[in-house]
Amino acid sequence: MSAARHHRRLAAASAAVVLALTASACTGSSGGASDDPNAKTTITFWHGWSAPSEIKAIDENIKAFEKKHSNITVKAVSNITDDKINQALRAGGPKAPDVVSSFTTDNVGEFCTSGAFVDLAPFMKKSGIDPAQTFPSAQLDYTQFEGNQCSLPLLSDAYGLYYNKKMFAAAGISAPPKTLSEFDADAVKLTKSSGDSYAQLGFMPDYHGYESTITHFASQFDATYFDDNGKSTVADDPGLTAAYVWQKGLVDKLGGYRKLEKYRTTFGDEFGDKNPFMTGQVAMAIDGEWRGGMIDASSSPVDYGVAPFPVPDDRAAEYGKGYTSGTIVGIAHTSQKQNAAWEFVKFLTTDTDAVVSFSNAIHNVPSTKAALASDKVDPNPAFQTFLKIAQNPHSSTTPASPNGGAYQLTLQNVGYAYESGKNTDLSGALEKAAKQIDTDVAQAQ
Amino acid sequence: MTQAVTGTRGRSVQRPRTRAARRRRDRLRNLGFLSPWLAGTGLFFLYPLLATGYFSFTHYDGFTTPRWTGLRNWVFVTHDYPFFWPAMRNTLWLVLVVVTLRVVFGLAVAMLVLRLKRGGGLVRTLYYAPYLAPPVAATIAFVFLLNPGTGPVNVVLGHLGLPQPGWFNDPTWSKPSLTLLALWGVGDLMVIFMASLLNVPREQYEAASLDGAGALGRFRFVTVPHIRPILVFAAITGVIETMQYYTQPLIAGQVASGQIGGSGQQTEPGYPDGSTLTLPQLVYNLGFQRFDIGAACVIALVLFAFSMLFAAVLLRRGTGLLGED
Amino acid sequence: MATIAPGATAGDVTEAPSAPGPGSVRRREILEWIGVHTLAVTALLFFVLPFVFVLLTSVMSDQQTLTTDLWPRTWEWHNFVDVWHTAGFATWWRNTIVYATAGTLLTLVSSIPVAYALAHFRFRGRNLAMMVVVATMMLPPQVVIVPMYLFWAKQLHLSGTLWPLIIPLAFGDAFSIFLLRQFLLTVPKEYVEAAKVDGCGDLRALIRVVLPMSRPAIAAVALFQFFYLWNDYFGPQIYTSENPAAWTLSYGLGSFKSAHHTDWNLTMAATLLVMAPVIVVFFLAQKAFIEGVTLTGVKG
Repeated sequence: MSAARHHRRLAAASAAVVLALTASACTGSSGGASDDPNAKTTITFWHGWSAPSEIKAIDENIKAFEKKHSNITVKAVSNITDDKINQALRAGGPKAPDVVSSFTTDNVGEFCTSGAFVDLAPFMKKSGIDPAQTFPSAQLDYTQFEGNQCSLPLLSDAYGLYYNKKMFAAAGISAPPKTLSEFDADAVKLTKSSGDSYAQLGFMPDYHGYESTITHFASQFDATYFDDNGKSTVADDPGLTAAYVWQKGLVDKLGGYRKLEKYRTTFGDEFGDKNPFMTGQVAMAIDGEWRGGMIDASSSPVDYGVAPFPVPDDRAAEYGKGYTSGTIVGIAHTSQKQNAAWEFVKFLTTDTDAVVSFSNAIHNVPSTKAALASDKVDPNPAFQTFLKIAQNPHSSTTPASPNGGAYQLTLQNVGYAYESGKNTDLSGALEKAAKQIDTDVAQAQ
Repeated sequence: MTQAVTGTRGRSVQRPRTRAARRRRDRLRNLGFLSPWLAGTGLFFLYPLLATGYFSFTHYDGFTTPRWTGLRNWVFVTHDYPFFWPAMRNTLWLVLVVVTLRVVFGLAVAMLVLRLKRGGGLVRTLYYAPYLAPPVAATIAFVFLLNPGTGPVNVVLGHLGLPQPGWFNDPTWSKPSLTLLALWGVGDLMVIFMASLLNVPREQYEAASLDGAGALGRFRFVTVPHIRPILVFAAITGVIETMQYYTQPLIAGQVASGQIGGSGQQTEPGYPDGSTLTLPQLVYNLGFQRFDIGAACVIALVLFAFSMLFAAVLLRRGTGLLGED
Repeated sequence: MATIAPGATAGDVTEAPSAPGPGSVRRREILEWIGVHTLAVTALLFFVLPFVFVLLTSVMSDQQTLTTDLWPRTWEWHNFVDVWHTAGFATWWRNTIVYATAGTLLTLVSSIPVAYALAHFRFRGRNLAMMVVVATMMLPPQVVIVPMYLFWAKQLHLSGTLWPLIIPLAFGDAFSIFLLRQFLLTVPKEYVEAAKVDGCGDLRALIRVVLPMSRPAIAAVALFQFFYLWNDYFGPQIYTSENPAAWTLSYGLGSFKSAHHTDWNLTMAATLLVMAPVIVVFFLAQKAFIEGVTLTGVKG
């Protein structure tokens, strides 16, 4: 056969192979809800908890479920990040998880629109669960996207102010600050410089400082991010701008960006024993309700107090609110055992005893109306403070969007440039950010 | 037509008699030896390359089937993706600074070792050892050493009263910090240069100094012409390596930022302030974090174009690469 | 290919006897000796001190790691044991050994015939084949990773394992093919011809005659490939990140600090445990290493 003809046939064959492989790479496999929930089976559960106490708690929860449903074994995998969830859901196959939980509500928009998680409404109907009666409306809201209830809340988070009581007494501060100007003044009072660093810092405002993010701060300012059409409102939102300006002001009052950043590099891990609040490196911190449990479980000497995070002076009446979020749990679209998976999800999210005991164990806010009203909830006053914050009508969360938390990263980047002084034109930066957010959302569709 | 021939070991061997038969046998033999590589190249190079090209014109999130969108991804990447041009600028910076400094430093260290009459072997081994450290381990070690608050380097600088830069946490110092890391691992270049330097004929040095050339003159007129090909080779392969620079800037950014990347956290590419972004990292960010597969493939193609450009330069200049026998 | 014997005196590479007056020569030689050795010691500090500081930190106590102390107050050698017993470390170790060893063996078996063919067989398209080898050598893995990942994950459901990294090595590795081919070019044809006269086919000739002669090159290529696989981060990150049971040392180390919320002392101890085997093997196999490195560069 001539060389030319040989080459042409080779080319045609490889093109066919390429097309075949590419085409089949595109369609994913999908599971079904046709399994028998009473059959003996094993389901895989991926979650993000990683601290030893948290893993112990979720394992006990699982054991309680397996006792009630002796035919279903749950295999749990811990410390799962959203990237891994996304990868596994796309790959499918026998090793893909059946039930997935994530600490962030951001990706709900993506999970729902892409079909990665199945719509749970039919399952709830079959089990006779009325979502509006079972779950608080805020929790229901952040677990669905555009009418598709593709996930359910598995305990919630509320953010507040942790403060070091001993340092407060030493500085002569009698009560935690309620407004931001009180807060700024207290932070300055609690800061002790030492050479070109600090012996003690009142508060770490830098946007890389663990939970000191723009969205957590902006919640106190009632910031909004999208309008009803899904277009970004960050360029015009007065609350968001005020939040950036306040943070920058505090950075400057506490010694400037460079000094603060250098101090920040001496911090230990956020979720380890060397957390800066737990070592006394900072006197106040914005953190979630889980922090109290971690301090109690550790050998940290800090005598801590909890209060709602301060509000802007012109919103003093709204004191008591905070940023809320929560863990979400859903069933993977590729799962072959969706009915069995639903039994597990139903137990985790609606069984009042399970919700309350899990909530007490990892110090998260219960996520059902029944659990919140239960008298078995941990009466620890610090914990109760967070329950109040979570139920405060002014508390808010960040909205879901079709491309996950990308818009929050864009806003964090604006923050990084603004706090360091690299960019002094805040309104220009926010206009660019609004355009970027809109473009990213369009690109994701 | 074949004829049975008895070989010297008493075995019977069929020897093809006609040229056509011999050529057919040769072609089969070639195919046999080359087939694994041919299959591999088709499956793991050609197929994904063509697929990457195809995906770059589609919108594909890994779940739904790809949808043809034409040039939309290309416009997005070059126009609306805020990390693309910083990554290109960083790559240019790294190519100009790191490649040059590695070649110069590697040559200097090679010449230094060759001048040590005693202990040269031990010194050479110690200079080479850092090159072997796994990149992840070396990067984490350097992030620790250069930690602005508690790292040994700044502690010593502080004791000496010198300014303490922010190293991996400061956008102006992050790439110089990566450069230090790259220079720490210069052992491979040092060894190649040492071999090349040893090949320079000594008589030429003697002749040059008889002609009155000082050390600098001998270097310029005897050493450099002889080692120029190897310097060029090192430079070009250095550029190609820099195009692939992925692990070190990624790990440095992650560890230095203190973001644990746990469940529910945002990952910030190129900490601090996009200063450590490189093109390979963008492929990962778009393809495996944002799952915008089309845009990821656009960047992959840009990376491909640059790599092949420099590979072509190397093939044309680097005589002997293809070789003949 | 020049081998460098340790201690080979090339001290006068750019030096030549000359200059007037014995006194000034002596003084200049002493000054040069001082200059050279000062530079050498400074460079030595640059290359060695990082290891030293990593070691010092790895034996510090938890209390001491976040301070600015340089010298450990207590020597907590148990940190290494603690790291070893940290969830997954032993698994990562095992996975890395499997990956590097199996990968290297597969690479050798698949690359040697290809290199031999490219070196000694004449055929149309040989130059093109060599160019493709060089092109794939220079190719960043990120160029093809997206479709490859989709293929392994969606088609074959092999994500979360090391198979997507090991299987392709059975088809040859471009860098190894290149190195081996460069070396095989230097094997005189006469040996092969003699083997063929004796009745060997090409494969036999390769195995019985050429391979034994190529031991240094094969050893060098094996070492290179072994350490490339040992140090690989990107591959395991893409394919095994979702399954901690399949992680390798490089990827595990990258996640170590965040996954276990540890401080610098344990992280440095882990870093040393990952660095150590490579350095140890290098000390034992120095000659092969350096020969291999010179194989790559001195041509051209």
